[in-house]
Amino acid sequence: GSKAASTPAENYHLARRRTLQVVVSALLTESGFESAEKAAVETLTEMMQSYITEIGRCAKAYCEHTARSVPTLSDTLVTLIEMGFNVDTLPVYAKRSQRMVITAPPVTNAPVTPKALSAGQKRTHPAHIPGHFPEFPDPHTYIKTPTFREPVSDYQVVREKAATQRRDVERALTRFMAKTGETESLFKDDVTAFPLIAARPSAIPYLSALLPSELELQSLEETDSSEQDDQTDSENTAGNIITDDPGADKENSMLPPSGVAPSNKANEDNMIDNPYLRPVKKPKVRRKK
Amino acid sequence: MDFPTGHTPSINNLRRLKDKGFESPRKSVIGYVELTIFPTVVNLNRIKLNSKQCRIYRVRVNDLEAPFIYNDPTLEVCHHESKQRNLNYFSSAYTAAVSAVDPDAGHGELVIKVPSELWKQGDDLKALKVYIEFSLDQPKGGLHFVVPDVEGTMAERGAHVFSFGYQNSTRFWFPCVDSYSELCTWKLEFTVDAAMVAVSCGDLVETIYTHDMRKKTFHYVLPIPTAAPNISLAVGPFEILVDPYMHEVTHFCLPQLLPLLKHSMSYLHEIFEFYEEILTCRYPYSCFKTVFVDEAYVQVSSCASMSIFSTNLLHSAMIIDQTPQTRRCLAQALAQQFFGCFISRMSWADEWVLKGISGYIYGLYLKKTFGVNEYRHWIKEELDRIVEYELQMGGVLLHPTFGGGKEKDNPTPHLHFSIRHPHTLSWDYYKMFQCKAHLVMRLIENRISMEFMLQVFNKLLSLASTASSQKYQSHMWSQMLLSTHAFLKSISNVSGKDIGPLIKQWVDQSTVVKFFGSFAFNRKRNVLELEIRQDYTSPGTQKYVGPIKVTVQELDGSFNHMLQIEENSLKHDIPCHSKSRRNKKKKIPLMNGEEVDMDLSAMDADSPLLWIRIDPDMSILRKVEFEQADFMWQYQLRYERDVVAQEEAISALEKFPTPPSRLALTDILEQEQCFYKVRMQACFCLAKIANSMMSTWQGPPAMKSLFTRMFCCKSCPNIVKTNNFINFQSYFLQKTMPVAMALLRDVQNLCPKDVLNFILDLIKYNDNRKNKFSDNFYRAELIEALTNALTPAISINNEVRTVDNLNAEVRLILEEITRFLNMEKLLPSFRNTITVSCLRAIRQLQKNGHIPSDPSLFKSYAEYGHFVDVRIAALYALVDYTRVERSSAELQWLLNMVQNDPAPYISRHRILGMLCQNPPFTKTADSALCNEALVDELWKLMNSGTSHDWRLRCDAVNLYYTLFGLTRPSCLPLPELGLVLNLKEKKAVLNPTIKPELGGGTVIDTPASIGIHGQLPNTRNPCSTTYNKEDIDMETVHDSQAFIHHHLNLLERPSTPGGSNTCLHVLRMACVLHYRRSQTNKH
Repeated sequence: GSKAASTPAENYHLARRRTLQVVVSALLTESGFESAEKAAVETLTEMMQSYITEIGRCAKAYCEHTARSVPTLSDTLVTLIEMGFNVDTLPVYAKRSQRMVITAPPVTNAPVTPKALSAGQKRTHPAHIPGHFPEFPDPHTYIKTPTFREPVSDYQVVREKAATQRRDVERALTRFMAKTGETESLFKDDVTAFPLIAARPSAIPYLSALLPSELELQSLEETDSSEQDDQTDSENTAGNIITDDPGADKENSMLPPSGVAPSNKANEDNMIDNPYLRPVKKPKVRRKK
Repeated sequence: MDFPTGHTPSINNLRRLKDKGFESPRKSVIGYVELTIFPTVVNLNRIKLNSKQCRIYRVRVNDLEAPFIYNDPTLEVCHHESKQRNLNYFSSAYTAAVSAVDPDAGHGELVIKVPSELWKQGDDLKALKVYIEFSLDQPKGGLHFVVPDVEGTMAERGAHVFSFGYQNSTRFWFPCVDSYSELCTWKLEFTVDAAMVAVSCGDLVETIYTHDMRKKTFHYVLPIPTAAPNISLAVGPFEILVDPYMHEVTHFCLPQLLPLLKHSMSYLHEIFEFYEEILTCRYPYSCFKTVFVDEAYVQVSSCASMSIFSTNLLHSAMIIDQTPQTRRCLAQALAQQFFGCFISRMSWADEWVLKGISGYIYGLYLKKTFGVNEYRHWIKEELDRIVEYELQMGGVLLHPTFGGGKEKDNPTPHLHFSIRHPHTLSWDYYKMFQCKAHLVMRLIENRISMEFMLQVFNKLLSLASTASSQKYQSHMWSQMLLSTHAFLKSISNVSGKDIGPLIKQWVDQSTVVKFFGSFAFNRKRNVLELEIRQDYTSPGTQKYVGPIKVTVQELDGSFNHMLQIEENSLKHDIPCHSKSRRNKKKKIPLMNGEEVDMDLSAMDADSPLLWIRIDPDMSILRKVEFEQADFMWQYQLRYERDVVAQEEAISALEKFPTPPSRLALTDILEQEQCFYKVRMQACFCLAKIANSMMSTWQGPPAMKSLFTRMFCCKSCPNIVKTNNFINFQSYFLQKTMPVAMALLRDVQNLCPKDVLNFILDLIKYNDNRKNKFSDNFYRAELIEALTNALTPAISINNEVRTVDNLNAEVRLILEEITRFLNMEKLLPSFRNTITVSCLRAIRQLQKNGHIPSDPSLFKSYAEYGHFVDVRIAALYALVDYTRVERSSAELQWLLNMVQNDPAPYISRHRILGMLCQNPPFTKTADSALCNEALVDELWKLMNSGTSHDWRLRCDAVNLYYTLFGLTRPSCLPLPELGLVLNLKEKKAVLNPTIKPELGGGTVIDTPASIGIHGQLPNTRNPCSTTYNKEDIDMETVHDSQAFIHHHLNLLERPSTPGGSNTCLHVLRMACVLHYRRSQTNKH
């Protein structure tokens, strides 16, 4: 399965794995096995790798815990102890007689970490900072790089641009609409020359002609939304109250507005006695005629 | 008095009427009407009512079945006369037909025979109750149903129905005495779908569900005596808005338009306050309702305590141009509530008083709201309109008197229609009639002062409101009817002044005055010799004798002189006050007391005269053509503060294309204190002058630098500022200037390139993002400017127009128009103003030969379903196409639309109107279009095809007159009977097959019998026994035989409402409409 292995990093890992496999096989032979299934070897290799990795990880953790960057022997020892390994047996095991010697794995190049994209020039320390202090980080971590050009602030150009842009958008949009829908033409010979979107009658033509378009409506709302809200609110409440209690409404309507309790000032609007706001009466059960 | 109603034996009716069912999808109404009639004469054996279109199922009088005849002679005006095609004949027959059912003369289409059992009761003058069951199916007139073709219930679709009509048209939707002078009180009940609202006259007493809870019945009571034509109805899923300032006022609009309604109506209370204040009288009804409907017949129609408006008057706060128009319409409607609805007219001849007063107080409102300048501008406009109309068409007679009824006594022989009835009047004439009426009221005001005028109105109103609160008594309610006589008497009582001559001159007599003035200054005598001549021989003119005011602006001030125009004197010597102009550097006092510095170098050194004005107050209905030197007009334009004088000066300056004129106009344009309409007019004058001065013109094109200075950016003068329309005056100027500039022409008679590019740039850089107002009217005007910039294409050998040979400039114009028109589909503008302008531009391109002339585009925009303004613009283009290309196919298409369009009112009426204005051919010229088939079609249209709408019929008559004239169209073969009928016919020849008949049920269609009713004492009686018994007999009713038989059949086999299930529509929403009314009628 080396086909997939193409990058140097992967090659490196594969070589190590192979060495581990050899080690496992040697140990098996040492223990008296004549042969082993591939899957068993793989499993053992995996276990071995995990074990070693864990030792490394743990040892590194211990060393970092003591604010160092390179693990020492004692870190490894503590690790092994922590993992439940009897360290004392190790020298004996290492010096056992029937051990097999394995050739060193072929030297493979450790993978190179790709260089960070250089941005700007690396800064040196200013004079007042001693040289032993850490260097500046890479410029890309702190340098602001503009991704757009300086906007043109000339009024004339701005207007010109806005106008052109709008016109282009409009033209493109209308052309698109004309291309995708029915059209009428002013010329018999060339129907595509000045395509007009076909006039389509609508069932309620006055709505679109009278109501402001959404675009316009937005700006309208911004100006007097508060006022409108007030009106609808009062109306709704007026309707509700009247429906709740039609009898009381009639009495109240006789009172002049000043007769309404001042504490209930908001109610003043609710006293509108308009016949069209009154509730619809239920028919009388007994018919007159 | 024309109709001595005093001795009319009168019905006194208390009517009650109930409509049982009104089914919107089927567009039908079922109902009944109950009238209580108090006989005022003995021998009441027949009752005549007005009713058209209605199918009458049964009639009962006091619970007894009563036989009746239903005969409508106006359905088909001329019968048995298939070969008659001359308009004289038609007009007289039509007048006779209308007279035969005239309620003021006691006639009617429906004649009910009082059962003989009740004769005794009638003799005792006891009340009779007449009960009529009727239905209306798919009415063509009277009620209009708007049913949008979309999914959903009727309410969701915004379907609605409303009553409409021109003058007395209530008979189209229920049987009544359809006269403005028959007052009674009303009870109305309408049962409609639960999602609908029925709005009608009077107070809504209660609303009750029907037993199935799917419908509601609206109960209205109108306690103020009201004439039947002032009753109206609107039913629809309206949104309801109670006026926040006046809770008794309720506004109704169609679904989704509530925000617009709120904004548009936020102003109404001020109009109310204004009228109540000047009339010192409260609004007469206890409530007021405004209803906004689609496809309205007229913009504004006022009825008792409610007004129906076109929904297109609604607008949002962003629209500038519509705001004053809507407010004007509201003010008109409200003025008519006082005079027209509350106070009704005694007879047709008194119509002018009501129209005059309502128009006059509306004018006062204009003055208060829009300012004196606007008011005077309006008065001048109205005066110019009426003068132009009368000079062209002959006089407009406000108060016609009809003596003996002989045809030769016709007071208006110059007209092709009779003015005896409102229903025979041409619409244009009626509009001019209203215009003249309010102008005459203003003349009366000039004579007796406004204070007295308002006192008179107050007196009339208080008399009427006293009368209205009375219970029915014999003559009390007549105070609510206004006659010319009563009005004049009131004026003389209040003011003590005699306005007889004024009335005689302007009211009892038609026509206007035409003055020509010129002057010379006599240096020796220091006298101004003024010559005023008159033209009183041309049609539409009269001779004026009386005072006239002349204002002379001299160096020492402005002086008024009252001159007396007499029989033979033409010259008038006016002494001048200023001796000479030695007094250097003195400020010159103006009429208004202001003193100004003037540059007097342009003046004639010998004369102290700056300018002269004849009749500056417009106190005569006149046209003045005055000659004075160009510098005098220039002074008048610059320094006279009256806008009318400024406008006159501008029109005069068109004839003086000189640099000083140019300077004067430019100065006015720049002067911000000047009235904006004057400045707008100055733009167009400047364009004309520039064209006349083409060879000597220096500097940039006229107005360009001005526009740049006013509206373009300081830093980049070729770019217009972003829109800000907060200052309306400059907004209007900004709109107008490009339109006027586009009229400029260079030596090749083309629009200068600079100007065209300038306009294209305006369009390009137009930016409305920061504006609080919509710019749709402005953009529409810019398209208008592009249209104006078009000039005829140079065509070689009539080649076919193709894209390739399109001129480069035209290509640019066309591109803009295409883009605008397409954008409008995606973002429609208010009232689709942009589309309207684009259609006009396209027609202009076609007409000038830049693009192939083709009607198909306009046809698609003219279809039903587009906004009405768009349709009218498209129809206008089509009418123009028809004339230019002489296309019979298009003419036929237009005529088909007249007959079949579902939204008839505006578009139908307007098509005929436009065809009259821009006729495909006229009576004087031969045309291939003029053929027998067309004559027949138009004849049929006016004879029977338009019987459901008075106005439309008159429009058809107008068109017939425009195309063929009064006599038999020349394209027809000679009639078999010979020429006897042609010229003298109206006087000499009776149709031998028809003998004049008396009585309301019969139609007298011989012209000679017009007016016979007036001569016989009894014919006016709607219910007298003096009719022969045979009148009831079918044999004497010799017209509309088929129609009557049809109804006889109905009688024999009374239909039931459910019996006519022939409808094709799905009855998803049965909107049953109930109404019930009680009417107490006097006389």
